[in-house]
Amino acid sequence: MRQRIGLLGLGFMAPAMIMVVVFFLIPVIMTAFFAFTNMGTATGVSGGEYLLTPKIIKQFEANQTLDEKVITALGSSSYIVNKTNLARAKEAGLKSKYLGEIDKKLHGKTFASRRQFERALKKLKSRPRNTRALIKSTAHFSNSVLNTRYETLGDFKTALSNNGAILAEPQLKIVTQASYTGWIWTTDNFTTMFSKPDTWFVAVNTLVYVVLVLAFNIFFGLFLSLTTFYLPTGQSVFFRAIWLLPRISPPVLYVLLWKWLTWDTGFISTVLGWFGMAPYNFMLGSVESAWTVVILINGFVGASLGMILFSSAIQAIPTSILYASEVDGANRWQQIRYIILPQLRWPILFTTSYTTLSLLTSFEYILLSTRGGPGGTTNVWALEAYFTALNNYSGNLQYGYGAAMALVLVTIGISVSLLYLRLFKFDDLVTRPRIES
Amino acid sequence: MSNENSRNFKSWPVTIILTVFSLPILVMYLYLVVDTFTNTEPGSLIPNEFTFEHWRFLWETEPGRVSIWTATLNTLIFASVMTALVLSVSLTAGYALSRLNMPYRRFFLGGVLTLHAFPTVTLVIALFIVLQMVGLYNTLIGVIFIKAALMLPFGIWVMKGFYDTVPWEIEMAGVQDGASRFMVWHKLVLPQIKPGLIALGVFSFLEGWSEYVLPQIFTPDADVQVLSVYLASLIADDQNFDFNLFKSIGLFYIMPVIVLYLLFQNKLMNIYGGGSKG
Repeated sequence: MRQRIGLLGLGFMAPAMIMVVVFFLIPVIMTAFFAFTNMGTATGVSGGEYLLTPKIIKQFEANQTLDEKVITALGSSSYIVNKTNLARAKEAGLKSKYLGEIDKKLHGKTFASRRQFERALKKLKSRPRNTRALIKSTAHFSNSVLNTRYETLGDFKTALSNNGAILAEPQLKIVTQASYTGWIWTTDNFTTMFSKPDTWFVAVNTLVYVVLVLAFNIFFGLFLSLTTFYLPTGQSVFFRAIWLLPRISPPVLYVLLWKWLTWDTGFISTVLGWFGMAPYNFMLGSVESAWTVVILINGFVGASLGMILFSSAIQAIPTSILYASEVDGANRWQQIRYIILPQLRWPILFTTSYTTLSLLTSFEYILLSTRGGPGGTTNVWALEAYFTALNNYSGNLQYGYGAAMALVLVTIGISVSLLYLRLFKFDDLVTRPRIES
Repeated sequence: MSNENSRNFKSWPVTIILTVFSLPILVMYLYLVVDTFTNTEPGSLIPNEFTFEHWRFLWETEPGRVSIWTATLNTLIFASVMTALVLSVSLTAGYALSRLNMPYRRFFLGGVLTLHAFPTVTLVIALFIVLQMVGLYNTLIGVIFIKAALMLPFGIWVMKGFYDTVPWEIEMAGVQDGASRFMVWHKLVLPQIKPGLIALGVFSFLEGWSEYVLPQIFTPDADVQVLSVYLASLIADDQNFDFNLFKSIGLFYIMPVIVLYLLFQNKLMNIYGGGSKG
């Protein structure tokens, strides 16, 4: 019987488990895996090719990773007369008589520059009379590795040695690594992340954002629940409904209303205009005003969560206690301080921990309002990860780096929620089943 | 504590303070309605003309833009299919977690709570790549599944809470009479949690209706846009900032939310108490 119930339970859990595996477990494992690669739009997600570009050579020159001789050899284009190149020229439609003569007289020879090769060609009888056509015909014998795609490492190495660049093993490795267009395993994401000053700036922003919005949420939630508790029923219903509006409104609309309120053609500017002030865009005008708006936008939504939770906790307090205190001459402040607040300890703790976690990972309202602006000053960690990996103006999406940033968030998120499980007495939630136990 | 007047307390200062703090919200939502039917001179706040022109988006579609009705239909499909998915999956999983004595129950419960706290942005990067590879990028199916999966831990947790309130005696009686546990669940327990089902259903629907980030990432194309993405892209593209037009679309967008909220207010409060937004 017990085993059958176990099976029924697993059957009942199966759909949920499948969805959790597909949409949580696999993505998280993939994120962890991406975090150690340099994947992005530039590298693609599948394999890559080997492509040496002039840009890479310039980088070698700038970094002085290779000596000059090697660099010139890599960048040079030598000319070789061999079977492959002859076949290539034939395919391109050069006259067979001309090619035959090249084969006969110059076979196996290598020319370091186009000029030398041209000089040799000019001695041939069947050469094109037109100089431009002659120059054009040299292209088929070029052995430059520049700007040619090679599908395998082997091909690329052969091409390099054909080119005449003699590379020692470590140098060869540098060149092949730099020319590879696919993704590779790397821990660079984390080292860059921790060494970049921007990261710390965003981290501090996130901290400031979480602390300020949290403080606003808790204090304002308390304020709302206490005041509405003491107001006549009609008024308290009205104010609670008003404060629920931001929560039930779709974020896009809610932020739009804030935009209208703070924009330079909006409400506040209009009102201030009556007193002779110039129109001002509070949402993006200055760093301080942008932060204020961002915190208010999030705070007004969050305050209602505190309001709901605290209100129901206050309503659970037996009114006889409050009446008794009143008879004893306590004023409202004393009632709040000595009767109500002690009862709210757990709801406050719960709201604090819950809000911290969701603020840490949410970026929707900032994305819709300031987009992290002006100039990235209101950027937070989750938003930065989103921009890096999924949405930026340059179009170069860095999945790997974004995943590394997200991985930091997951680590924090999981450890914090495990902490909460202990804090909120998880065992009380897991009451034993009473049939067949 | 509300109606009686106490000697040591007057309520009007509190009313005034609350009104002052609530002013931004009052102003925003008042003008949300007023501005959609009127025109106002720049520099003034009092409308000088009554008009329906801001509602022209209902019967006119700007070139290069999708019709509002397509976006509405997409939103409706997105929200309702997602809700059906969340309900059906959490209906069984919640029961198993609440009542069935199965292996690893503790582990599952802890897992559900942990998943609930999971940052969306972590999952989204990997899902973005997976969806592109399997060809579900820019389709409603893909984003429906993702949103449903992200809602699931919350849904399961809420359903478990509702199952927890059903008296054990009902099930005991059923089992005594020889019914199987499945039968007991189907015939006796399910009718008991109907209110919970409705509450979670309405809540999920509203969540889906309002969702912005996921459709923005997974279905940005015009023909699969939902209303939130439609409105957001309109705001982002417009250089003149025609707030009256935005507000009219916004009012059109929020109306179903308000109606559903007024109808199911009391049921929803249970769930909002659990909280899902910062």
